Amino acid sequence: MKNPFELFGLEPNFLLDEQELSQKLRNMLQSVHPDRFASGSDQEQLAAMQKTTQINDAYGVLKSPVRRAQALLQLKAGLDGSKEVTVKDPVFLMQQLELREELETLSTKKDMGGLMDFAETIESMEDAQIASINDLFQQEGENQLLESDKILTEIYKLQFLRKTLMDIDAAEEKILG
Amino acid sequence: MALLQIAEPGQSTKPHEHRYAAGIDLGTTNSLIATVRSGVAETLPDLEGNHLLPSIVHYAKDGTVSVGHSAKIFQCSDSENTISSVKRLMGRGLADVQAIKAFTANQLTASGIGEKGMPAIQVFDQIKNPIEISAEILKVLARRAESALGLQKDEQLGGVVITVPAYFDDAQRQATKDAAQLAGLNVLRLINEPTAAAVAYGLDTGNEGIHAIYDLGGGTFDISILRLEKGVYEVLSTGGDSALGGDDFDRAIAAHLVELAKVDSDDRQAYQMAMLKAREVKEALTDHESIDVHFMNWNGQVARELINKLMAPIIDKTLLACRRTIKDAGLKPTDIKEIVMVGGSTRVPLVQEKVGQYFKQEPMTSIDPDKVVAIGAAIQADILIGNKSNDQLLLLDVLPLSLGVETMGGLVEKIIPRNTPIPIARAQEFTTFKDGQTAMAIHVVQGERELVDDCRSLARFELRGIPPMVAGAARIKVTYQVDADGLLNVFAEETTSGVQAEIQVKPSYGLTDSQVTDMLKSSIEKAEEDMQLRMLREEQVEASRVVEAVRAALDDNGKLLLSQDEYEAIESSVIQLETIAQGTDIEAIKEAIKIVDTNSQEFASKRMDASIAKALVGSEVDDI
Repeated sequence: MKNPFELFGLEPNFLLDEQELSQKLRNMLQSVHPDRFASGSDQEQLAAMQKTTQINDAYGVLKSPVRRAQALLQLKAGLDGSKEVTVKDPVFLMQQLELREELETLSTKKDMGGLMDFAETIESMEDAQIASINDLFQQEGENQLLESDKILTEIYKLQFLRKTLMDIDAAEEKILG
Repeated sequence: MALLQIAEPGQSTKPHEHRYAAGIDLGTTNSLIATVRSGVAETLPDLEGNHLLPSIVHYAKDGTVSVGHSAKIFQCSDSENTISSVKRLMGRGLADVQAIKAFTANQLTASGIGEKGMPAIQVFDQIKNPIEISAEILKVLARRAESALGLQKDEQLGGVVITVPAYFDDAQRQATKDAAQLAGLNVLRLINEPTAAAVAYGLDTGNEGIHAIYDLGGGTFDISILRLEKGVYEVLSTGGDSALGGDDFDRAIAAHLVELAKVDSDDRQAYQMAMLKAREVKEALTDHESIDVHFMNWNGQVARELINKLMAPIIDKTLLACRRTIKDAGLKPTDIKEIVMVGGSTRVPLVQEKVGQYFKQEPMTSIDPDKVVAIGAAIQADILIGNKSNDQLLLLDVLPLSLGVETMGGLVEKIIPRNTPIPIARAQEFTTFKDGQTAMAIHVVQGERELVDDCRSLARFELRGIPPMVAGAARIKVTYQVDADGLLNVFAEETTSGVQAEIQVKPSYGLTDSQVTDMLKSSIEKAEEDMQLRMLREEQVEASRVVEAVRAALDDNGKLLLSQDEYEAIESSVIQLETIAQGTDIEAIKEAIKIVDTNSQEFASKRMDASIAKALVGSEVDDI
């Protein structure tokens, strides 16, 4: 089976053009979506469902920075990017604690404005994190070797930020009832 | 050169014969059917000119079933045997619905034929489940369409698209599909109500960009965020509440009236009258600021302001769902280009006002909010049945609620998160907990909460025959596959030994396939011969569908993708099927269809790959 990049006819790069991605998705699904075969034979309906499933799944991987980075790591270094990593970076661990604490405080105070500002802060941290993962992928070629372990750690950090954003959402929902 | 084939008159279907398809909006309060005629999609009226069919079914003592306006008459006089809002029971457990006041305790019972805990309604000495009751509504609508389209006695609708609330879970969708099957309808697709509304509006305005569809019906609320681009409707996120709607407005107003009139709130008949009066009051106050109300022994003025106060908390609940859904799409309220209002309850001025405030724009109401869903469904049905083969319109929908599996300690492990585009498949690996464990129970759940008890239980099944190993050594791969109707199939496999189990998720509160078939058989009060004839006719229609589809595929690119041998094998099986289908042996026709299917499996897959390759080249050309 083709990897997500191949399926979309893309070079295996971390950076990608979201507009191009969704345009490709639309073009492919226009021709293979099950709705195109609703009055076709059973085999066509089955094949259409299988292809569309593959395309949707690949799209999900490519659209998410975390899953895209994991897929790329798998492709380039044969590493399972979703496996557990232990982060020993003390600066990050400290920051992790501080962010959780801030979330806790804002939730207890039911400070909606504060939570929204906090979410914006995390979002910009996320952008920075995505940029640094991209840098690591770009280094391959210049330094030749891909620092895959380091990338794994950076992916983990990105996941942590994502999780924090989801927890902020949950806290907001709880306040709103 | 291949010889041109000429069919004997009346023996074969013409290649591009117009087929009849319809869109059905099976609503909580009202239902509609629409179809495309001469390129125009419109809802169909009954003989009296009514487009809306009240979703009310009455069972008389002599077994007569009446549906719609003729059933509504019995709502007060024979309320125990008159069922309204049955949609609220679809795919639900008995415990879920006991809280709904629309059904009295003695009306609701556990179903005799259903699984444990499936609700049913006692009418005289019979027990009717929600699927049977909904099927009665569907039958009336189908008959209406058949007569409007001038179909002959032996002709049927080629297929229907039935709409469901976007927020319906798997059990509710499955129940809807079962009801259609019971009514003898061929379901082309279940589509989400807001998506159908978007289709109706999109074709009307041709507007590209991001749209929000706010759909407040009688008993359900949906909010969907869609991106319309180049004829593709991509649902970005969807949310809502499948047990919140205009009925709740009525209930709040009725409770107030009961209080004003100092009536015993357990009085079933008084409550029914209060509900009817409440709806009247709500509708009258759409155009008036204040009205005179007489209810039982109470007379007085009711102002719009008063009912606004009663309705506001319900509307606020819908706005909270809007907020979450916009966030799920990764957007802000200001990103929404247009907000479209769907469902009769959006006529309430306070709803329009509050929604307008929230989205900071005037909501769109140009298509009748009662009819827009059925119209969109009809347009989609016409495309799916193949009447518009080159149309670019395509709907890409999402899973409304996360699908998960129960893990240790009653926790839920999510396998497919909500708002994932469908169709989709995801697999997750699990392992055994004890040494020598040979079976594993798999409990499929749907919902967003962390605890199994807070989610909806869809199905339980067991994977048996796992070879005994030490704890943690077995690899059990559980795969969830959601199809284009949003329906789930689950497969489980022990990967080291290949032991498999598969179930189509027939929910805890649904019917099994054989139960549906049995009910279908018993509902056809015709002689055995008629039944045989009908089955033969259905099989022949299926055969000609297959023949036509495979021929079209062969003509399209068969020569390009297949070797001569492969081509000839498929072609000869098609010819074989055509010959057999002219006979009367049902089993032989089935077998011949199967052979064509098997022979063309590889070809179908190759065609998909060729299409993808072509689409990708196409998009690169567009880029330049």
